[in-house]
Amino acid sequence: MTTQAKPEEASPAGSGGSAPFLSVRDLSVRFSTEDGVVRAVDNLSFDVAPGTTLGIVGESGSGKSVTNLAVLGLHNPERTEISGSIKLDGRELVGASNRELEQLRGKTMSMIFQDPLTALSPFHTIGKQIGETYRKHTGASKKEARDRAIEMLTKVGIPQPTTRVDDYPHQFSGGMRQRAMIAMSLVCDPKLVIADEPTTALDVTVQAQILDLLKDLQQEMGTAIILITHDLGVVARTAQNIMVMYAGRAIERGTVREVLKTPQHPYTWGLLSSMPSLTGDVNVPLTPVRGTPPSLINLPTGCPFNPRCDFREQVIGGGCTSERPALSPETGHAAACHLKAAQRQDIFIDQIKPRLG
Amino acid sequence: MSSRNMRLAAAILVAGALTVTTACSSGHSNSDSASASKSPVAATAISVGTAADSKGPAVAEPGAKKGGTVNMIDRDDFSHLDPAQVYMNYNSEVSLLFTRQLTGYKYSADGSSQKLVGDLATDTGTTTDGGKTWKFTLKDGVKWQDGTPITSGDVKYSIERTYASFIKSGPTYIQSWISGDKYRDAYPGPMGGQELGAIATPDDKTVVITFADVHPDANFTLAMTGYGIVPKAHDTKEEYDKKPFSSGPYQIVEHVTDKSLDLERNPNWDPATDPIRNAYPDKWHMEFGVQAQQSTERFMADNGPDKTAFSFHNQVHTTYIDQVKADEKLKPRTLQGLTPYVDYYYINNTRIKDQKVREALIRAFPHQQTRQLQGGTSYGDYATSYMSPTVLGYEANDLYDVLKKPEGDPEAAKKLLTEANAVGQTIVYAYNNTPVQQKVTEAIRDALEKAGFKFVPKPLDSKTYYDQTGLVNNEYDLYWGGWGADWPTGYTSIQPVWDGRTIADGASNYAHFNDPEINTAIDAAAKIADPIAQGKAWAAIDKQLQQKAASIPDVYQRSISLYGSGLGGVKFDSLFGLQFPLNIYVK
Amino acid sequence: MLRFLVRRSLGALVILVIVSMVTYALFFAIPADPARLYCGKTCSPENLALIKHAMGFDQSTPVQYWHWLSGIFTGQIIDGKNCAAPCFGYSFAKQEMVGGILLDRFPTTLSLTIGSAIIFLIFGIGTGMLAAHKQGKAVDKIASSASLLASSMQIYVAGPLALWALVYSTDLMKQPAYVPFTEDPIGSITGMLVPWIVLSLIWTANYTRMTRSSMVEQLSEDYVRTARAKGMSGSSVFLRYAWRGAMGTIVTVFGIDLGVLLGGAIITETTFSLHGLGELAIHSFRDSDLSLLVGVTMVAATLIVAFNIVVDAAYALIDPRIRLA
Repeated sequence: MTTQAKPEEASPAGSGGSAPFLSVRDLSVRFSTEDGVVRAVDNLSFDVAPGTTLGIVGESGSGKSVTNLAVLGLHNPERTEISGSIKLDGRELVGASNRELEQLRGKTMSMIFQDPLTALSPFHTIGKQIGETYRKHTGASKKEARDRAIEMLTKVGIPQPTTRVDDYPHQFSGGMRQRAMIAMSLVCDPKLVIADEPTTALDVTVQAQILDLLKDLQQEMGTAIILITHDLGVVARTAQNIMVMYAGRAIERGTVREVLKTPQHPYTWGLLSSMPSLTGDVNVPLTPVRGTPPSLINLPTGCPFNPRCDFREQVIGGGCTSERPALSPETGHAAACHLKAAQRQDIFIDQIKPRLG
Repeated sequence: MSSRNMRLAAAILVAGALTVTTACSSGHSNSDSASASKSPVAATAISVGTAADSKGPAVAEPGAKKGGTVNMIDRDDFSHLDPAQVYMNYNSEVSLLFTRQLTGYKYSADGSSQKLVGDLATDTGTTTDGGKTWKFTLKDGVKWQDGTPITSGDVKYSIERTYASFIKSGPTYIQSWISGDKYRDAYPGPMGGQELGAIATPDDKTVVITFADVHPDANFTLAMTGYGIVPKAHDTKEEYDKKPFSSGPYQIVEHVTDKSLDLERNPNWDPATDPIRNAYPDKWHMEFGVQAQQSTERFMADNGPDKTAFSFHNQVHTTYIDQVKADEKLKPRTLQGLTPYVDYYYINNTRIKDQKVREALIRAFPHQQTRQLQGGTSYGDYATSYMSPTVLGYEANDLYDVLKKPEGDPEAAKKLLTEANAVGQTIVYAYNNTPVQQKVTEAIRDALEKAGFKFVPKPLDSKTYYDQTGLVNNEYDLYWGGWGADWPTGYTSIQPVWDGRTIADGASNYAHFNDPEINTAIDAAAKIADPIAQGKAWAAIDKQLQQKAASIPDVYQRSISLYGSGLGGVKFDSLFGLQFPLNIYVK
Repeated sequence: MLRFLVRRSLGALVILVIVSMVTYALFFAIPADPARLYCGKTCSPENLALIKHAMGFDQSTPVQYWHWLSGIFTGQIIDGKNCAAPCFGYSFAKQEMVGGILLDRFPTTLSLTIGSAIIFLIFGIGTGMLAAHKQGKAVDKIASSASLLASSMQIYVAGPLALWALVYSTDLMKQPAYVPFTEDPIGSITGMLVPWIVLSLIWTANYTRMTRSSMVEQLSEDYVRTARAKGMSGSSVFLRYAWRGAMGTIVTVFGIDLGVLLGGAIITETTFSLHGLGELAIHSFRDSDLSLLVGVTMVAATLIVAFNIVVDAAYALIDPRIRLA
């Protein structure tokens, strides 16, 4: 075991309703591989309040999935080193025993995975898979668990739930499977749901239905949701807050409105430019972020985005290749970039916004 | 070894183990195992015994005591136990324990020679007309296992039932000597109530057999297990083959095909009537399905019940031969000896008519190399005759200096070829396509090419080797084959193989050798009444065959086997090439 | 499921008929003449004809085949002996009814196969799961290298070694022999112990490696991660999820291996001097014993076909995605 618990005073019990339900501070996750140490997450901090949704956006390998697996404690403890703090309802999860985590997983926090076909067991019925979670955490009988499963299937909008409860995942359509998956993760009324690309594997009409379903359930139960996606459109539709991740760090953070309307970081600009817009000019070509994501074993010096950045010449003193910019300001809409706030505003208004339409 | 049974042997070789050799005679000799492999082969000491020799009990084994159980482990179950069906050597060997014939073979006191004696009969039979009519008188006190006396009627019935249609293997000499080649047409067997007139039983003790022609060695023929006795009252026909009724010292308790055979004492056997059989152990337990490698390992380990075990047929596995020979501790329980089988390389006389070319082949042949490839000295001794040393009358005649130049003499061969104006003559050599024979073929190629022949090898499939070489118009010049006598006189050693009048597809005259002089000599020898004189006549024919370069005698086959340390009196039976049970005792 | 069983059983019958026909055809393609094998040393043409007639070889191959096939349902008279249905013919080399011989030998092979299968399944799967559970740790490394060593062993090497070490030279264990359970329950186990140990040692190694690799593969599956995300305990994830997934592979391979074990009985039984179907196969081939050859082939083919049906059915029970029809 190389997981380190960072010694920290326990938060006072019942420290308040307004406090964030999930609070992550200075989280670092490192894997040791044959090629070297992968710094998958580096000094990450964020909060999620009850009843709100945080969208975490970034390319593959930006650390967004790793962060959430660390929250659930699903990383491989043999090869992963975690430091920092993850507090769930005031309870420290870093260094918590497997047993403690088992009690929390599925009950207080749960996860919705990307591809429900592979994420659901092909060997057990939908009802069993939903009911099992319920029985584990509530000690319900088989009968009760089955009734609960039917109730949950009804809730997520599965027609004829009393018969479908005995079906196997392969007998469901893609969208239905994802509904079942959601039913499974919500069966114990968790306070935190982490949805990892929940709609990526689905077609567009079904995507919207699933997102609406999540939103409805959140309103009904007051769940905190972390929505991991690379699709800013999904975030815009569902989340209140956004965190953009790049190379294991948050590089921009703010409310949906702040980040989407006045993005501050050149990488966010890139993400927005690569996204088609219904209202935009069809003649303006989409411009994806050039280059490829950096290796997490061998990060570029300075700002990890600098090799792909079009604006690093404009930084006075050229700090981009020497110094890693911190996320600032401490609270509110913040970005990690050496460009001065005024510069960013000018560039966005003059060069980026026209492209977005 | 006979052609038919060689076929079986070949099939077994395919299955990948030791050959089951067929045997052909009864009798036993204790061969001198210590130095036999090096010293020249000693002439056999077989003779015809007197009425006094035929009296029981058998010559006792020094130090032997009664009691205990002897175990026997072998690869195969006995294929036949019904005497009339028995031809194979190991079937005959086990039959000694429970089947008696009119005649049999008895060891001399020192174990170095054996005599034909009366077994059930008071002597070896009498004939007043040179061997056409034979008269036997049964001993007093000979009984079946149920205590009923053995009568002349039993003997008559036993021979009659060899005609029955369910008897599909076994010897046919007596039948055809009485009734001709199509003997089944002449007499259908006793099942329908018909009797065979040629066998008369003037009283309960006397049997008189009349043949169509003279057969002076018929008393040897009647020593074959094939003419052992079967009781009419207990003849279960086909079933009899599994569990025969005993006339010998032991009776069958249980016989589970291919698994085991258990014997116990027959209380009604009287040792005073039996000049041949000792019966030391109380019981015999025989187990089958043990491969040669396993039995060798078990005998070497010598543990538990294997201490009191022997094996009729399983020899030392080839991978252990050198180790066994070198091990001083194993020496006291290692048996070595000559089997009755002689290996030949047959020359096809219909294709190679020039005697000088045949002589060149004999001179050129690399006996040393081919023997080395097949197991060296353990494989056999270089042969200098067609008859085996185990046959009455055997004489060695090294006419072609095989003992001096076992590696072959290419110069002498080339000289002969040049004289015959046949340098470069093609020799088509057919061989059994096995890994060992492929190597042997290369050795022969080397030698023959050195001598000036052109060599063409022709691989044949193991299963059909004998069918193909047995064809009269086969297109091969040279091929391996073997032969063993049915009984230890020259008749079955020489006549089936070298009588030119027997040439036919599938017959035993593989060399297609047909010489009127030899044919006449065979007829004459077969009619000589005196065994010694007859033996001399066969030896003379043997020598003549060599002078005429009929084929290439290669080796007299040897055998090497082990047994457990808890047994005494285990001897080698050179007439069958197997371990001999009748002197075995538990120490 | 019922429809599946009926359909597959009918298919199996067709396969068996084809197997028997091919066996007949191949037998007569070999030029060796079995009648002459039985004929003995002085084989007269009359004797040969007699034997050929008794064996039925004087009839054409299709007629012989028809007699054999119909004999299974109606019985037949062979060489004056009554062979009641189901009649599988008469072995002239063994002079017994083939059905009786097969019945006598089958339990030995069954005991050999099933006994060692039970042992190697228990130990192979157990060790494999342990290794998968302790991935990368000492237990895993020891199990993996030991199984690599053991699986590279061959029965004809390991068998004689074990016999030498346990039976011949030390007398620690009994000479291998089959005893029916009903006759001697303890003897039926001790008699087969050495072959079971040797066979299962070799096969355990295979199953250790297979179980480990499929468990490792299953443990990295998404649905196993889901199970953990639901808060399922380690053991329940391991057994209810990963093992359930790995079972399919193991059952499939086991179905094939039963056939291999059966085929391997030829070597195994020879090595241990056991009297089972493998030994019969050798004898029937050596003696060109057609009825026995066909009988042994049919028993083996029937078993293999039956194993396949059972495995397919079991696989469908394990994995609901497989539809039986």
